[in-house]
Amino acid sequence: MEAPPAFSVERSSAKQHINMGMSEALPSSLPVLPTPLEETYPKLSDSQSTFTEKELRAKPYTHSSHLTSSGAVGHMFSSSPGYSTDLHHSSFSSHEKHPRSTHFISQSLSNMASLPLSYSTNSGPVPSTTSTLYSNGNSVSWPTDPLPTFLDFPANTSIDNIQVESSACNIVATEEYSKRNDWHEWADQLISDDDPLTSNWNDLLADNIQDLEPKVSKSSSQVPMQSQSHQPLPASSGEYHVSVAPSSSANSAPAKPRMRWTPELHEAFVEAVNQLGGSERATPKGVLKLMKVEGLTIYHVKSHLQKYRTARYRPESSEGAAEKKLSSIEEMSSLDLKTGIEITEALRLQMEVQKRLHEQLEIQRNLQLRIEEQGRYLQMMFEKQCKSGIETFKASSSAIESPSGVSSDAMKDSTAKTESETVKVDRCKSGPDQTNGSTKVEERPSEVGEKQEAPGSLASENPEKHANEESDPAPKRRRTEE
Amino acid sequence: MKFGKRLKQQIQESLPEWRDKYLSYKELKKLVRLLSSTPPTLLNGSSLEQFAKNEAEFMCLLNTQIDKFNAFFVEKEEDFIIRHMEVQQRIKRVIDLWGPNGSHPSEADYKEEMAKIRKAIVDFHGEMVLLVNYSNINYTGLAKILKKYDKRTGGLLRLPFIQKVLEQPFFTTDLISKLVRECESIIDAVFPAEEEAERAKEAKEAITVAGEGIFRNTVAALLTMQEMRKGSSTQSPFSLPPLNFPDSDFIQSIHLNAAVPIV
Repeated sequence: MEAPPAFSVERSSAKQHINMGMSEALPSSLPVLPTPLEETYPKLSDSQSTFTEKELRAKPYTHSSHLTSSGAVGHMFSSSPGYSTDLHHSSFSSHEKHPRSTHFISQSLSNMASLPLSYSTNSGPVPSTTSTLYSNGNSVSWPTDPLPTFLDFPANTSIDNIQVESSACNIVATEEYSKRNDWHEWADQLISDDDPLTSNWNDLLADNIQDLEPKVSKSSSQVPMQSQSHQPLPASSGEYHVSVAPSSSANSAPAKPRMRWTPELHEAFVEAVNQLGGSERATPKGVLKLMKVEGLTIYHVKSHLQKYRTARYRPESSEGAAEKKLSSIEEMSSLDLKTGIEITEALRLQMEVQKRLHEQLEIQRNLQLRIEEQGRYLQMMFEKQCKSGIETFKASSSAIESPSGVSSDAMKDSTAKTESETVKVDRCKSGPDQTNGSTKVEERPSEVGEKQEAPGSLASENPEKHANEESDPAPKRRRTEE
Repeated sequence: MKFGKRLKQQIQESLPEWRDKYLSYKELKKLVRLLSSTPPTLLNGSSLEQFAKNEAEFMCLLNTQIDKFNAFFVEKEEDFIIRHMEVQQRIKRVIDLWGPNGSHPSEADYKEEMAKIRKAIVDFHGEMVLLVNYSNINYTGLAKILKKYDKRTGGLLRLPFIQKVLEQPFFTTDLISKLVRECESIIDAVFPAEEEAERAKEAKEAITVAGEGIFRNTVAALLTMQEMRKGSSTQSPFSLPPLNFPDSDFIQSIHLNAAVPIV
């Protein structure tokens, strides 16, 4: 079940499995970047430059989702510029996002035009508050928050607990804009927590810079990507590869992007390792060179190799020990588990339960997806109706000169977009419409609920809109309401 | 509060290293409570500032959670990919070495190794399923929190935010599910043919104790899931239908008879 492409592109910068790539709005963000690319990291005294830097650093990563090894489809999700970007974009990631938070707030508090907040100084693109969805402008503004959150990774591994999380957020929430510089030190602290890595920083960094540059420039020429929305990227990323500045906090970013392995990629890895003489003899660098996978860094290979070695060792030694531990406890509790047959039967039972759980989980997940899709469809319908309603209003008052002329154009554009989206969603909807009775029951209340959830301002217009609905969606809706 | 309790139970029953990777549901709920319920348009001055701060903190925590899930999930996924291949190779090695057509056929060794492998592979399967469960329960928690947030502040965070969540690595469990199914077929191949029905039944009855570890966790997970889906007080368009297992009593009996406390 896939989200209507146009719609999701509007929102997301990069997805992994679905591979939608950067949002088409992204290029529009480029002109926004005021500061020169070479500006190195250090004093985050300006939100703009921070933003720039993050964008810079992130670019190589989102980019590295272009993998070209034959058959090996690894999903780079250091597109954590991609994914959590979208999350962060309207919100507050752990550091200096005050300007961003204002944007988020303006969105969620539907139509708060001007926020008299003390720390709203970012002159970056202000999201259109008319839209309850995250507008393009918004999602583009901060395509890359997650770099600070990368620093959370070491924290996560060593100190991961609620207190750290909320205190981190507390720190940010309560500190003023100017205290961003502290982050720099804090980031260093977090980095130093992760001992095995610190010793390799220079190594990794050197490798990364070398690897990233050619890779990025190479991938810029590889435009035939999995999706069309990647295209805007290559052009821009080429400029940004120099952004990997050799400063201490930048260390965390290039070395830490999350990589999502796949079985195919792993197979390629194993082959490379075997060619090099086995897991003990193979070196990360060698494996990396052999694999020839775009976007794969030595850091990824290193950690993967480590895991691989542990896994190989395990069946022979410690896994056996772990099993014995578990089985001895089981023996204590049940003296019946003696014969081989009974053990097998116990395992069968275990399998049954596990299978059942898995089945239910899959069903549950599908339901959840469908529910959300339904909700989104309805939301779009409302938006569309709302906009067309406003448009007709404007048309009727076109005699009056107003700056709203511009905004109505924008609305027309978005209406056109939503229309094409709704067409696609209609098609998607016809899918769920054909499902069995149980989900139908769900869809029906979901519509009712969705109407209730609509913003207060629209609520009164709902009955009107229902009457005005176009013939296409209307019968469908009535059908499901039966 | 029901979800919070269930989540806590789940966490307690889960594998030790997973326990702090779950959603910090309580924390998030606290933050939502802190948010004032007067619409922000009516706030001004310091209370607006306070609201903004609280909200920012909430968002921050929310995003940290997501990062946490993603990091853990992806790492586990990587482990599973490796183990999946390893298990297959291990089986192959054993068959090639001690199997009937192997280089050193030895029925005793073969049987012993295969027994070990069977146990390992079933646990492996279980762990993967638990990861999917992890993903799902965290998603559910997030959805609930967002719903609470929207209810409290009259905001519209839920819908767009959840769309983003749907695309997150931790929620896209397709690969893991695929591995699970492959694992199941391997298991079918590795397990001896189904014994006589009576014997099997007998053995099953003897085993009413779910030992520590994976099995117990999966049973707990299944039960929790069932409980959570029993029917909520706030049935909404976004609720899932109730879940009913035909032999839920049986599963319940497994769970309740567990004598081994989780350390």
